[in-house]
Amino acid sequence: MNRIILGIVLLFLLIFPVFNLPYLNTFLIILFMYILLAESYDILGGYTGYINMGHIAFFGIGAYTFGLLWNTGLSLYLSFLAGTLAAVVFAILISFPLFRLQGAYFSLAAFALVKLMEHLTLNLSSITHGSDGLKVLEGNRMIPMYYLSLLLVVAVVVVSFLITRSRFGLAMASVREEEEIAFDFGVPVQRIKTTAMVISASFAGLMGSFYTWYTIFINPSMVFGTEMALMPIAMAMLGGSGVIIGPVIGAVFLLIVEETLWTRFAYLHTAAYGLVILLVGLFMPGGLVRLRPVRRFLIRVGLFKEL
Amino acid sequence: MEIAIQLVIAGILQGGLYALAAFGLSLIFGVSNVLNLAHGEFLMLGGLFCFLIFSATGLNPFLIGLMILPFAFFLGYIFDRFLMRPLAGKKEHIRLMSSILVTLGAALCIGDVTSFLAGAEEKGVDYSMPSFFWGDLYISYLRLLAMVMIAGLTVGIHYYLKKTYTGRALRATTQNIRGAMLVGVDTSRIRSVTFGIGSMLASIAGVFYVVLLSISPDMGLTVTIKYLCIIVLGGLGSLIGSLVGGVILGLTESIVSYYNPHWGQTAAFLILVLILLIRPKGLFGK
Repeated sequence: MNRIILGIVLLFLLIFPVFNLPYLNTFLIILFMYILLAESYDILGGYTGYINMGHIAFFGIGAYTFGLLWNTGLSLYLSFLAGTLAAVVFAILISFPLFRLQGAYFSLAAFALVKLMEHLTLNLSSITHGSDGLKVLEGNRMIPMYYLSLLLVVAVVVVSFLITRSRFGLAMASVREEEEIAFDFGVPVQRIKTTAMVISASFAGLMGSFYTWYTIFINPSMVFGTEMALMPIAMAMLGGSGVIIGPVIGAVFLLIVEETLWTRFAYLHTAAYGLVILLVGLFMPGGLVRLRPVRRFLIRVGLFKEL
Repeated sequence: MEIAIQLVIAGILQGGLYALAAFGLSLIFGVSNVLNLAHGEFLMLGGLFCFLIFSATGLNPFLIGLMILPFAFFLGYIFDRFLMRPLAGKKEHIRLMSSILVTLGAALCIGDVTSFLAGAEEKGVDYSMPSFFWGDLYISYLRLLAMVMIAGLTVGIHYYLKKTYTGRALRATTQNIRGAMLVGVDTSRIRSVTFGIGSMLASIAGVFYVVLLSISPDMGLTVTIKYLCIIVLGGLGSLIGSLVGGVILGLTESIVSYYNPHWGQTAAFLILVLILLIRPKGLFGK
């Protein structure tokens, strides 16, 4: 049952560009980007329980590294690789000091890193062009970007699925439930957390590179902005953190709500959007997918994979 | 030398302003373990109402600040009563996520409704007082007054927490919520009261903001993040920590900004990250 549904959805998305609907195509690219960010955030946030409010830093670092290197004349694929690697290296570097922190300290220190990156990109304007932003070679990349980001979304979902079925995934869940006991039972806690962060960062970094390539122009607030940082996390939590399908549903739901409000109402769409987030948080703790009817339906079709 | 002293004074004032709003956030986190992302909105609302009443009546802005305190308390109280209390019984991990969603949603909502009703432009109260020279030092009465008031408030909060029943119940709830319940503290009422107090302190800070700097409806999240950083820097739930954290950040900003205005904020976040690396639970955290 679940294979049939996923197959149909995937097939539809694969042939979608044939219909030649640029507006919806662009919308789907943005949607894929948010799904990817929410889902890759959840690899760390949902399974190990470390709420990484600095996830967008990986995205931004990937975006800037790609743009700067590609502008120097490095080949496209090497630049994508470099963007990903930069995010991974950054994740490894910060994982050792950051994982000494716990709970809210961890979240906020990670968030401070995003703000630090934003200010650094603004101030190191001899390299990053500061608030003027970074431009790369122009070109219409809608169709290739569509397939690349779709591919990346499929990849992150598959990786999440493999994680939930592995020993590694179990170790992550044990860190989330009782870190000290997990440590006493011989789970290499630090290594598990670092690995989770690296996987999470590599996807975000690659997506960042794609994003620069696609939009042609980026500036610090586009990739490190406060709302940009908080939205993927809100999506993951809203859909259901720790369930594979959760962040996907959260991203789809929130983005459709935002798009509808934005096109229907000239004013107050942010307020309505905030209200939706608030109401979900208040009445559906655990996210949309843990709501009883939704959960029952998802279990029946075999899409409710939780760790 | 004069410049150095001038910078230190500016930094301490800025830090005191930070600390004032951070106190409230710190108290709220201590009692309820909630990272209140809507805290900056209370600050913005305090400043905004001060601005509106000042524009209509021309009263002394600090007097207006005093007048709106009960409303600020009420706002914080009902915020907790209707938005945070329903989450209190949930599991720890779920509650943390829900509280982030609820406070983030509220922050977006309040900010947007305010900019719709009151206009999105920056607002400041045009209220000045004379200034004087003390030796070679240029000192403005307004800033001096603000500093004295912030110092007075800090002492006041300290005594409130140490000497009154509510204050002591509040600290008991922070230290051990079950223990506090066992000795008969109504912890959910204490939580609502704490939100009220937090909102009051934020609105006072908002009044200082609108008089000394300026406010705008979309400033909420930005200042909230800064205050969250300050209480993390000082150690969550520690009052003296918020004060020291605020002053460290204020001083860093004012001194670095003097040499290069762009690097002030950068240096502040750098200091925060560095301090956390050395002391994972903040300066005064347990």
